[in-house]
This record gives sequence, C-alpha cells and structure tokens, in this order.
Amino acid sequence: MRTLVIDSATEACSVALFEGRELIAHEHHVLGRGHAERLVPMIAHLPERGRAGRIAVSRGPGSFTGVRVGIAAARALALAWNAGLVGYATHAMIAAMARAERGAQPVAVCTRGGHGEWFCAQYDAEGRELFAPASLKPEYAAASLSAALVAGGEAETLVERRGAGMAMALWPDARGFAHLNPEALTSDVAAIYGRAPDAKPVAARERT
Amino acid sequence: MALVLGIESSCDETAAALVDGDRRIVAQRIASQDEEHAPYGGVVPEIAARAHADRLAPLIAAVLEEADVTLDQCDAIAATAGPGLIGGVMVGLVSAKALAMASGKPLLAINHLEGHALSPRLADPALEFPYLLLLVSGGHCQLLLVEGVGEYRRLATTIDDALGEAFDKTAKLLGLGYPGGPAVEKLAREGDPKAVPLPRPLVGSKEPHFSFAGLKSAVLRAVESGEHADADIAAGFQQAAVDCLLDRTRRALDRIDTPPALVVAGGVAANQTVRGALEGLAAEHDMRFVAPPLPLCTDNAAMIAWAGIERLPLGQFDPLDVAARPRWPLDPEAEAVRGAGVKA
Ligand SMILES: Nc1ncnc2c1ncn2[C@@H]1O[C@H](COP(=O)(O)OP(=O)(O)O)[C@@H](O)[C@H]1O
Repeated sequence: MRTLVIDSATEACSVALFEGRELIAHEHHVLGRGHAERLVPMIAHLPERGRAGRIAVSRGPGSFTGVRVGIAAARALALAWNAGLVGYATHAMIAAMARAERGAQPVAVCTRGGHGEWFCAQYDAEGRELFAPASLKPEYAAASLSAALVAGGEAETLVERRGAGMAMALWPDARGFAHLNPEALTSDVAAIYGRAPDAKPVAARERT
Repeated sequence: MALVLGIESSCDETAAALVDGDRRIVAQRIASQDEEHAPYGGVVPEIAARAHADRLAPLIAAVLEEADVTLDQCDAIAATAGPGLIGGVMVGLVSAKALAMASGKPLLAINHLEGHALSPRLADPALEFPYLLLLVSGGHCQLLLVEGVGEYRRLATTIDDALGEAFDKTAKLLGLGYPGGPAVEKLAREGDPKAVPLPRPLVGSKEPHFSFAGLKSAVLRAVESGEHADADIAAGFQQAAVDCLLDRTRRALDRIDTPPALVVAGGVAANQTVRGALEGLAAEHDMRFVAPPLPLCTDNAAMIAWAGIERLPLGQFDPLDVAARPRWPLDPEAEAVRGAGVKA
C-alpha cells in the first residue's frame, strides 16, 4: 500500500511517499514560515501527485499554524482520495529518526515551544512513549528528561543545562516514517497543540 | 451546469456549501463558534483557528454526502482567502488547495467581502449590476458600488469601529451577552429612542465615511451615569446608529448616478429597524430595496461558492501556492482612510 507522509508541524516542512516500507520520493525544507503556501505544491510534485491509499500526518506539537496546515491538508486529501488517515506525534518521529541513526536506545526529545518553554517527550529503546509531549519550563525539562540521547531543536541547550548526555539537533522529516514504532500511529488525527490558546479577543478592527 | 464547492473559515463560522449555476444551494453546513468565544466577549483568534481545524473536514464530507456529489462533479473549489483571522483562513484555504490538487479541479481564492458583495445575486436572480451595497457586519461597515464581478468601488468605510461591533459593545455594557446585536434590538423595543441624548458621529460631513467609536463612548457614559433606563439606552443607541447609516448612505448616493437597487448585507442587516429605515431610503430614491435572507447575510459558505460560480466564466484561477491575506481591500483603488485600519 502507498503511504503519503506529511510533516509540517515544526519549522521544517516535509513530505514523503512510500510503497510499503520503500521510500519512493520525498522533499524536505526548513522553512520557518510559509507552510500554507508550500505544502500542497510539494505534495503535487510527488509521483502521481502523491496519491496514496493511506495518509500519515504529524499532529504536533510544534507551531500552531504548522500543525493545522498539515492536518487540514491530510484530512482533505483523505476525503478526496477516500484514503485511510493516521497521525503521529512530532516527537515520536524525531525519536525514531534518532534511533535510526544512533541505534536502539531510549531517546528524550526536546523542541522549542512557546513563551520560553520547551515541548518535551521521552521514548524507550523501541520507540514506545514513556511520557507524552508536554510543554515544560527549561528547568523542569532538565529534571524530567533522563535519557542520555536527546534529540530535537533544543537538544543541545538541554544537554548543556543538564550537564550530561548527547545532543542531536534534528528536524522531523517525513522520510523517518519507516522507523516509527507502529504503536506511535493513532487513528485520531486531532492536533496536539501542547499549550492552551492565548485567550485574548481581537477587536474587529484588527480582524479584517 | 456549473457546480462549485465553497469553504468559509475567516472568522467564527466554519462552513461548507455546494452551489450550482441555477442559484441552487445544493447542500450546506455551518457550525458557529459563539459558545467557544462567549466567555471572552469577542472572537479569540487561536480558539477560532482550532475550532475550524476540528470541524471543517467533517462539514465538507457531510455536504458532499448530503448532495450525493463527488469532487469529480465539481467545477472548482472556492475558499475564502481573506480578509479575516489568518489562522482560520489558512485552515480553509489549505483544505481547498488539497481538495483541488487531489481532484484536479481549479482553485478559487475568494475575497470574503466579494462573497458578501455578490451574495444578493444568489438570492435574487433579478438583481443586475450595478447596485449600491451597504455591508454592515461585526467586522465591516462599508458602502460599495458593485458594478460587476471583480468591479467594486468603495465609496465609504468606517474610520474606527464596525457597526456590529458597536452593537456588541453596547450589549456588553448593558450586560446583555454575546453576540449582542439581537439582544440590543430586543431591548430597544421597550425603550424610548429619544430619551437619551447620543451623538451621531460624522453625520453631515462631506465624505460618506462612518464612525461609531464616539457613539460607543457616549453609551458608556450614559450607562455609568446611572440616570437612564437600559431600554432607553438601547433604543437611543439603535436610533443613533440608524441615523448615521441613513445620512452616510444619502451622502454616498449624492456622489454617484443613482443605481437601480440598494442592497444591505452583513449580520446587522438582521435588525428590523435598520432594514425598515433603509427600505424607506430606497423608496425615496426610487431604488429597489434588496435584503437577502438572513442566513445569506451573515458569514456562510454558500456566498463563497456563489462568488466562485460568478468567477468561473472569467477563468481566473489561483495557483496552489496562493497565500492567505489577513488584509485584502475589495477595491484596491480606494484611498486609505485614516483610522480605518485593516477594514478599509
Ligand atoms: N438584530 C441585530 N441587530 C443588530 N446587530 C446584529 C443583529 N443580529 C446580528 N447583529 C450583529 O451582526 C454581527 C455579526 O454579523 P456577521 O455578518 O456574522 O459579521 P462578522 O462575521 O463580520 O462578525 C455581530 O456584530 C452582531 O451583533
């Protein structure tokens, strides 16, 4: 079965097309912004416009907008192609990529969150979730993440703070899908935002 | 016959609709977020964006299913691309892009205001161009001369608040809850519109622009004075607002060849006093008065699909990398109005 993987939840934006476990095509950019403009054309450039029987999408956490862009595209494609839809956490993908490169071992994942916090999670040597992505203040992150190997955008800062371990600065990449533990896949693709919304109403004037 | 799927997600309504070239709304679904935003007394952008992301795909699926239509049978996918709250707009626009890409159908990135401007023609086959449109909603207060598809002349806009916003703030000051328009209208029925002296900002001024900030402040002072009954304040506010609308619309009409029809759209068009007053004004000028049915006046996806139907013959489709635009004036020629902010 073909699987289209969409990972646009962080500053990175990537797509990959698999036939079974074999990678057919992919594209990966560290964009920062502009996912809403780039993502669908990236899919359109894949063989057969990315058409697949199953779509896998990163649910976050990451940037609120990036998370939504990926999920909106995935849901719409699943509807258009009558395809299956599964989700995974950004952090599970980063851990899987770290294991693929450094061998089976527990992995802590630490990425930039909002308001000075970090999104943190930890996985065992097989990629099972030990604790789910959560937004933590850096001091709590250092105390909670025990795995020696730390991956993600804030890995280096965390290792420094902790004074121990090995850091891997990694962006999630849809190509890593083949390394995900199947248990990391959920049929629920609702966003994992990791943080409550900033609840400040807009004046209509600023709205439009 | 042409068939277009429309998607709307620019404020606090998530909506999808299928409309055909015979002006038939084949199917439509709309989910309001009033409940989510009510505790904050206004729309919270991140809460809105999250709700759109949760709800839109199932709404689109439901619309297609109800109509027993597949994307292959659609001629285009149309979505609001702005102006509005960017987080929500992106959800709708990206969904539309993905649907368009997957089905090989053209994408139409629609200006939300164009949706409002053309929606009266969906309801009324006899409505021809040109017409004068008064768009009065929570986010907009504009007078537009609609001369054709893509041909809009903005004659006036608000230099501060939109009228719906002023209704909502008045409701809040009177402790009436959100959205406040209908509540103010109801309370106003029991009040004396002349009991509380309130200003009519900009009335008599040369340019036909609107202003409601001063009225809102005066309502605040009236409430704080403790000297007036709430119903009198509501009635006085509503009357002042109507007087402003009439004076400003007259002023705009002075500047153009009187078009055959006056059309009102936007949520405030639900207000019976507003409607009645505008109907009288139209009669004064020998104009036909057109007020689309309420569900078409407020934010909805049928108007976006209809704008798509109207745009189809022009063949101006949008690329898959088209960007959402939080600000997007309908009339690019219109002069910026000081204080009008992004609504202009
Ligand atoms: N009966 C009414 N009288 C006055 N204002 C009303 C009435 N019904 C709705 N409104 C106002 O219309 C606005 C909502 O209209 P809508 O077209 O959905 O606007 P937007 O999407 O720009 O907020 C709100 O500000 C609401 O208070």
